[in-house]
Amino acid sequence: MGILDRSEYYDLTRTTNWSPSYVTEDELYPESMSGSRGIPMEKWEAFDEPYKVAYGEYVMTQREKDSGAYSVKAALERSNFVENADPGWVSTLKAHYGAIAVPEYAAMTGEARMARFSKAPGNRNMAVYGMMDETRHGQIQLYFPHEHTDKSRQWDWAHKAMHTNEWGALAARHFFDDMMMTRDAISVSIMLTFAFETGFTNMQFLGLAADAAEAGDHTFANLISSIQTDEARHAQQGGPNLKILLENGMKEDAQRMIDVSFWRSWKLFSVLTGPMMDYYTPLEHRAQSFKEFMQEWIIGQFERQIHDIGLDTPWYWDEFVRALDETHHGMHLGVWYWRPTVWWNPAAGVSPDERDWLEEKYPGWNDSWGSCWDVIIDNLVDGKPELTGPATLPMICNMSNIPIVGTPGPGWNVKDYPLEHNGRLYHFGSGPDRWCFEQEPERYQGHLSFIDRFLAGQIQPMDLNGGLAYMGLSPGEMGDDAHDYAWVAHYQTEQRAAS
Amino acid sequence: MTNNKSVADGYKNNRVGPILRSGDVANAAVEAVEIDNPEKEIEIQDRSAYIRIQCEDECILTRQSMEEMLGRPFEMRELELNLSSFAGQIDTTPEQVRFYMNQHI
Repeated sequence: MGILDRSEYYDLTRTTNWSPSYVTEDELYPESMSGSRGIPMEKWEAFDEPYKVAYGEYVMTQREKDSGAYSVKAALERSNFVENADPGWVSTLKAHYGAIAVPEYAAMTGEARMARFSKAPGNRNMAVYGMMDETRHGQIQLYFPHEHTDKSRQWDWAHKAMHTNEWGALAARHFFDDMMMTRDAISVSIMLTFAFETGFTNMQFLGLAADAAEAGDHTFANLISSIQTDEARHAQQGGPNLKILLENGMKEDAQRMIDVSFWRSWKLFSVLTGPMMDYYTPLEHRAQSFKEFMQEWIIGQFERQIHDIGLDTPWYWDEFVRALDETHHGMHLGVWYWRPTVWWNPAAGVSPDERDWLEEKYPGWNDSWGSCWDVIIDNLVDGKPELTGPATLPMICNMSNIPIVGTPGPGWNVKDYPLEHNGRLYHFGSGPDRWCFEQEPERYQGHLSFIDRFLAGQIQPMDLNGGLAYMGLSPGEMGDDAHDYAWVAHYQTEQRAAS
Repeated sequence: MTNNKSVADGYKNNRVGPILRSGDVANAAVEAVEIDNPEKEIEIQDRSAYIRIQCEDECILTRQSMEEMLGRPFEMRELELNLSSFAGQIDTTPEQVRFYMNQHI
């Protein structure tokens, strides 16, 4: 007996809407979960996913993907790559797993929302695969780092980070809760699958894979690029829903959702991916700069896709393009300075050769961020390391929950963007951050940033040690310079020669 | 700092095509797209972990050309094992995958 070609049965088997008789349509699909926005059921039935897979194909393909990833890991385990890798690269791995592995389960919840509550049968069908994809991503990214837990307690943070009040974890949870956990099915399809996955995950799972391959970390390069093959498929759920919104006169709503998710994703990646690519990855293994990867994946590819669907460039486009030269340098400086507050060891990445590279990729770097690093370097050379660490707290943005940064030096533009709302003063790191808040203040107004909690007396004692305890960081977990300050030796020699 | 205008306008392009994890399938696809898109100039970017294959407006990859280049049977669904991303829109059938833009800009 011949097997039917997929195209001969696909449309029929996908037709799973029916008229409920025991409950009303609104009870079956509550608006707060479905987000159908008054668009009738039959319009949602026009949803036609462009990347089609049948269940049998899905299972076969996923099995092959997993056996590929686990085989490469098994084959390379004896090469002891991590033991011999540059400490800056090891920090990239620790930061990645802690920030990404557990939130994959949050993404699974977002997929489940679509699988149950989307009124589009095709969306529900694709989201079932998406749920299984995200479960795979959670499991595999907890399994891979687990073999390293005997090397340092920082590796435990692959699982631990999201269960703490560490500031980066707070920021990541605020973002992922907003995009994945607390939106209706249609918003999830646009803000998570379209904006975050068609766009930004390519930076962390392919851009970083290029650096990993250059660094010789084939286990990690193979793992994250394999994960991204799932994303490439299930990210195709937002496009058909956007088309339905546009056809029903809801472009403004669609554009707003993309603009919020785009900006929020950018800020998260500026503190996570930016330092990894431009500071932690050893110089000789950097495939491209963070900005060049952003130009390749976000501007050249993702923004073009936004236009092709019939939407516009975000209103803050000029601000975003300018920030590509700035934000992640400030984030990196802050993360290194407040290094006891993270679960990895930040690499400074400011040896003379590295500074030359930064100046070439970001003209003006030495006069701006370099001038701050000069002070840090002088203090380290003079044997005053206590002056290179935190005594106070940075101001934190009430939207991104990461520090408020700007350009230091002659082009100084560090600025707070305040907003008074219902008698409370909020602080933001940029105009677009404040704008995101203003779109739905009732959604965000109750959240307390790390600094808000500190000022409210929730963190005791009110000093660095109290803060570290609140964040769940014990000795052996809190970060220090990745290379144990070995890079300072060059500057010491330089100073001795000069004097 | 740098030329922000050209960075800001970076999305004004019509490049479409697959981004594949490096390996046999990606190498075969590099040759297969030449057969499947005979009139097009194909641009290849090799970034160690992935290979970006792209051309203007539309890029087609057929099962038949993949089989020719690999020298073995190939099901179109196998492309997913290596298709980490793609530029443009996608349309999949058991015989081919098509990457395209709705509008030329």
